[in-house]
Amino acid sequence: MHDRSGRIVVNNISKTFGSIPAVQNLSFTVEPGSVTGFLGPNGAGKTTTLRMILGLVNPTAGTATINGCRYHQLGNPGAVVGAVLEAQSFHARRTARNHLKVFASAIGVSDQRADEVLALVGLSGAGDRNVGGFSLGMRQRLALATALLGDPQVLVLDEPGNGLDPEGIAWLRQFLRGFAAQGRTVLISSHLLAEVEQTIDQVVIISRGQTMYYGMLDDLRNSQRSRVLVQAGDAQALVTALGEQQITEVSTLQDGRIAVEGATSKQVGDIAAQAGVALYGVEEERVDLEQLYFQLTSGQYAAPVQHQYSQPHGQVPPPGPPPAQPPGQPPGQPPGSWGPPAGGPGYQQDPTAYQRPDQGRTPWGGQH
Amino acid sequence: MGRLVKAEFRKITTTKLWWALLIPTVLIAFGWALGAGYLGNAFVDLLDGPEARELETVLGVDSGEWIVSYFAIARSINLATLFPLVFGALAISAEFSTKTITTTFLTAPNRVSALLAKTVVYVAWGAIYGLAIILSVAAGILISTDSDRLPTAAGWLGLAVVGVLASILMTLFGVGAGALVRSVPGVITLLILYFLVVENGAQLVLGIHAPDVIGFLPNGSVNGLTGSMAAELFLTTAESVPPWLEDGVRAVAGATGALAWWLSGLVFLGWSALVFGGGWISTQTRDIT
Repeated sequence: MHDRSGRIVVNNISKTFGSIPAVQNLSFTVEPGSVTGFLGPNGAGKTTTLRMILGLVNPTAGTATINGCRYHQLGNPGAVVGAVLEAQSFHARRTARNHLKVFASAIGVSDQRADEVLALVGLSGAGDRNVGGFSLGMRQRLALATALLGDPQVLVLDEPGNGLDPEGIAWLRQFLRGFAAQGRTVLISSHLLAEVEQTIDQVVIISRGQTMYYGMLDDLRNSQRSRVLVQAGDAQALVTALGEQQITEVSTLQDGRIAVEGATSKQVGDIAAQAGVALYGVEEERVDLEQLYFQLTSGQYAAPVQHQYSQPHGQVPPPGPPPAQPPGQPPGQPPGSWGPPAGGPGYQQDPTAYQRPDQGRTPWGGQH
Repeated sequence: MGRLVKAEFRKITTTKLWWALLIPTVLIAFGWALGAGYLGNAFVDLLDGPEARELETVLGVDSGEWIVSYFAIARSINLATLFPLVFGALAISAEFSTKTITTTFLTAPNRVSALLAKTVVYVAWGAIYGLAIILSVAAGILISTDSDRLPTAAGWLGLAVVGVLASILMTLFGVGAGALVRSVPGVITLLILYFLVVENGAQLVLGIHAPDVIGFLPNGSVNGLTGSMAAELFLTTAESVPPWLEDGVRAVAGATGALAWWLSGLVFLGWSALVFGGGWISTQTRDIT
């Protein structure tokens, strides 16, 4: 029997559909008492991985266990794991309450539990309506209600935010945090970091079926250093002055500004004042999670973007193979690509902060 | 296991399909039995005339002993069991279409128990459809046929048993086909085309060239189950049927080229097991994406 630890362990799991590798050697552990985000662009292998954890897809190699067991060794899995997978997993002409009663009997809980979970997700009033007339958000709530029928210890959710209105997302966030606070386990996938950023403690980021980052979200956040962007009257003199103060991680941007790493804007300002260099503008650039996530996963479809935006500065793994598009080519859909257009409504929050073309910068001293 | 059986029963009773298909089943079974019953009755009436009597004496037969309603019963059952076939075909294909198969497998200890529960429930529903068919056919026959030409008690019982059996086997055949095809329109088109058009066409050709093959085909064998039973019952009562007329009797019963009823049943059991087993294996190992 299972060990009731509430731990999900994915161990070197791979899945190949025909000749297409969907997931390659993925490993991570999801601990109880926390919400783990499972992030990656569409097509990165998130759904396949979750379905392997749930015993719906057979791995080509490796194992996935919950409470130390494979899904179908759990005995009555519906009472251990709840899963929200697709919004359309319903018979359109069955009422919400009847849908829940069907699976309540499969799990072995009372019919009364169906009414309880309906109330829990705020669907009590719609219980006797056919699911066919439900909005996407209502279907997501019903899917969550189904997952909660067996009062599970582990909750696995695949893109649960799809179709939910802001109020619904806020509610879900609160719910999942409360669920994890009871010592239970939550694994939630999303292709948008912003959607789950405030919900998750731990994060697994995958791209092209491989792990790009796995760890605490705060560690990822702290792995990035900020840069100070300075427009100086005499750039060369400032760089020399900075070098004298052991600040050597300096590079120049295409617009002539200097990017300084490892120093605060106050330090840079003081050094410039002492060296008698005029400063016309000082700006502290903060690298946010969204950009990091974008860099970690950008290799998959939006390859050209890597040239346009700055390279990662922290200790995150390098974002995969070189982009398919040769430098210099105008950004846009690379030939033969079916992904979202590069530079389109991607993951960056403030385009102006990142779109400064600085790939032509020349390192002046420090290396990175 | 009991939990899953209950869940599968609820899946059926919480949508309208079971009675939406049961209504035409009952109507077709009743209507066909009524029409065929009148036809048979009229035929025997015709044979009752003084001229026909003379002919019968010459031929050495006695139509007074003929219970032609057996044929009407067998033919009506054969047609009506297409509905449990369709009902079964939707069992798994509809779960794939609506993707409820995901939740079904997630809430079951394993796929074997989920499929086993479905089998138990669809055997029961096959029997329910079979009973409804038998009752509807009986009603049609009772209305249309003179009381002295009705089946014997043993005849009723025999045809009721094979009728329910045929209905159960057809349901399971459908369940398996639906699991193999996994598309609702696909499997229904395929089954209806095969059972109504393809094999009947093939039987016309085979009836001339190789009638013995028919009894081994799916439709030929399931029709043989009821048809051969009807022919056997008819011949038992009508002792005066000359051997040359027996093939004609079989043809009228819808059992041309068919084996004995129990052999036919075994052959169709084999077909159902094959299709059902194939559907089971494919569902057992399939990635649910």
